[in-house]
Amino acid sequence: MSPANSREEVLEAAANLRWEVGPDLHDSLMEALYTDAARISDRVLSRDDARPAFDLDRTIDRLVTSRWLGFPIMMLLMAVVLWVTITGANVPSSLLSSLFLETLHPALKQAAAAAGLAWWLDGLLIDGMFLAVAWVVSVMLPPMAIFFPLFTLLEDFGYLPRVAFNLDRWFKMAGAHGKQALTMAMGYGCNAAGVVATRVIDSPRERLIATLTNNFSLCNGRWPTQILIATIFIGSLAPPALAGLVSAGSVMAVVLLGVGGTFLVSWGLSRTLLKGEASAFSLELPPYRPPRILQTIYTSLIDRTLIVLWRAVVFSVPAGAAIWLVSNTHVGGASLAEHLIQGMNPFGLLIGLNGVILLAYIIAIPANEIVIPTVLMLTVVSAGLPGVGEGAGVMFELDSASATLGVLEADGWTLLTGINLMLFSLLHNPCSTTLYTIWKETGSVKWTAASALLPVAMGFVVCFCVAQAFRWLGG
Amino acid sequence: MNELTGPLLAVLAALAIYFLFRPGRGWLERWRRRLRLSDRVLSEDALKHLYHCEYEQRVATVQSLSGALGTPVEKVAGLVQRIEAGELATSEGASLRLTPKGREYALRIIRAHRLWERYLSEETGLKEPDWHKRAEQQEHRLTSSEADALAARMGNPPFDPHGDPIPTQRGQLPPRRGQPLTSLAVGERARIAHLEDEPEAVYAQLVAEGLHPLMAVQLTHVSAERICFRAEGEEHVLAPIVAANVAVVPLPREQPVEESLETLAVLEPGQEATVVGLSPNCRGLERRRLMDLGLLPGTVVAAEMRSPVGDPTAFRIRGALIALRGEQAANIRIGSRRQVA
Repeated sequence: MSPANSREEVLEAAANLRWEVGPDLHDSLMEALYTDAARISDRVLSRDDARPAFDLDRTIDRLVTSRWLGFPIMMLLMAVVLWVTITGANVPSSLLSSLFLETLHPALKQAAAAAGLAWWLDGLLIDGMFLAVAWVVSVMLPPMAIFFPLFTLLEDFGYLPRVAFNLDRWFKMAGAHGKQALTMAMGYGCNAAGVVATRVIDSPRERLIATLTNNFSLCNGRWPTQILIATIFIGSLAPPALAGLVSAGSVMAVVLLGVGGTFLVSWGLSRTLLKGEASAFSLELPPYRPPRILQTIYTSLIDRTLIVLWRAVVFSVPAGAAIWLVSNTHVGGASLAEHLIQGMNPFGLLIGLNGVILLAYIIAIPANEIVIPTVLMLTVVSAGLPGVGEGAGVMFELDSASATLGVLEADGWTLLTGINLMLFSLLHNPCSTTLYTIWKETGSVKWTAASALLPVAMGFVVCFCVAQAFRWLGG
Repeated sequence: MNELTGPLLAVLAALAIYFLFRPGRGWLERWRRRLRLSDRVLSEDALKHLYHCEYEQRVATVQSLSGALGTPVEKVAGLVQRIEAGELATSEGASLRLTPKGREYALRIIRAHRLWERYLSEETGLKEPDWHKRAEQQEHRLTSSEADALAARMGNPPFDPHGDPIPTQRGQLPPRRGQPLTSLAVGERARIAHLEDEPEAVYAQLVAEGLHPLMAVQLTHVSAERICFRAEGEEHVLAPIVAANVAVVPLPREQPVEESLETLAVLEPGQEATVVGLSPNCRGLERRRLMDLGLLPGTVVAAEMRSPVGDPTAFRIRGALIALRGEQAANIRIGSRRQVA
């Protein structure tokens, strides 16, 4: 028999035997491999199987996952973290902002004037780029530098997986993973960090769901917008004694709307766009251990805070330039900003917003922190209010809420504009830092585009419906 | 713009969306169906039907073709003429036969179909009811070289998720295995070899019963109205017409009966049990993940605690505490339960 012939025969025999081995061959092979590995490791490893009389881990677990105490403990911890973040961030935030905006900015302006810098270069560099970066840093850095280490400490201790364990059932109903609770919580600090945190979810479909819906967690750049607008438009409707409560309640309502949106969109995505993505649940509950405090603070500052801050700074430089340029480039007797605002006004008014808000959300895309300063600056530009603000293209904030209300009402803002701005602040595209992070994490233009367009479309629809209802009710 | 414009626009948009997307009869759906029914697709589906008839030793006619394709007889007659002109089939009296060239063509389509079903079941999160539908479309798009690349990537799987053999690159198939479940006698044991995925409604019922290839079954009762059998510890009742779509291979009598009838899902906190195996129902990523966690025959698993809302449950597996959801635990078969000391 020639070798060529015997080769043919062997192949033929192999091809026939293929059908004999049955459909579960690969499985049996896998199982045998794993079983062998387990047997070898059992032979060379000795384990102490005796259970100690008092098992601390087990006691803590019983407590934090108990039917009665599980949820109260969870809410208490979340409230403490948020409270420490908000109160703790106030002081460094105002310090940074007075340093950057009240000391450094005028000093730079003077130096530029002394050096005889051209007005446009001075405006572009100092009023545009510098101011945008300064604003982002002073508002963004302190809360993140407090929130992330606290969160990481809880994670390091081993508590966070238990939160996922307690909440998984509800996330399962929406087709999501219990750990999405953690990425959502992280999103309340910063959506970009929340998106990075979705790495803890190892099932591809659930991870994408968590990534695409993280924007529904109100990030710390949007809290101030919500609180300011709630105070001046909604709080003022109530008697003064209740004003604080009413405005806080309306902000909470927006937050809850975001939670509802997360579940709704997760549910929809898992049944439509993401139906085909592979999915496998698993959740390890690691043993508790004392948190390594210094290491945690170091890594959370480097890994989370500084990376996110750096991305935000990188994006706010061109945005600052854009903000300054649109208000200072004049075409046919009016600035570019005025043309754009005029152009977008009809659509803006149709959905109960206005051209200023839409333009502000476009040019302030790098960070939600600068939306309100941009809105105020553009309002002054478009309404032509003399003596308010710092000049075209220079973002500012007013000291008192009533002064802000005055400026906004002068431009035709109503209660509807306020309500819809709060809704749109929740339901709009993520900031460019977050979008960039989503792109880096998913490596896909498609998912990045989906995560940007989905909330904007929802925002337009919701604002439009609210505007129609509001006008129909004769508000 | 008066105040009616807004609501009017909304109503118009809603109507447009309704007409475009309404299930089954929406414009988008109709348009896609028309594309799907292009001539090539229709003749490829016809070749598949001829091949299935040949494999199951039935006679294919213009009528059977018309029934299988859901197309009127007049249209099928034209189709048959085209197929014959292409020398893919010949007719002898009323019956239609494939030529060798037609058989090769049909096998190529079937290969693409079954490979795609295998791919969907192993590497995506899609569930049983979607596999067939999507493969019905993909089979016409996949070229042979793409099919070969897909097969190579998946390690040349011999069978699709329904238990059907996938034709090899050279178009080989084993002889047909299995007999209908209805042919078994009471008390006889068999292993499910194949679940017929057409018609869709019957297949959906089989899937809903939790049946899948490789499952061991034992007949307990047969009558003209129903067929009862046990499979993995559960009692199933099917109408004979449904049971006829389940093909089984009888098991030798001397083989020990699998005693593992329970799954991890019934383990209460404080109990432990030894894993017997993973259900074949759990595939792809999910199966690999469970194996990675050490859920293999012989592993002792203890239930430790349950989430305050009832699901998931945390299990102690090889020293690690792992939470599994109820439906995952239901895919892990265990031996007898015992209380942890």
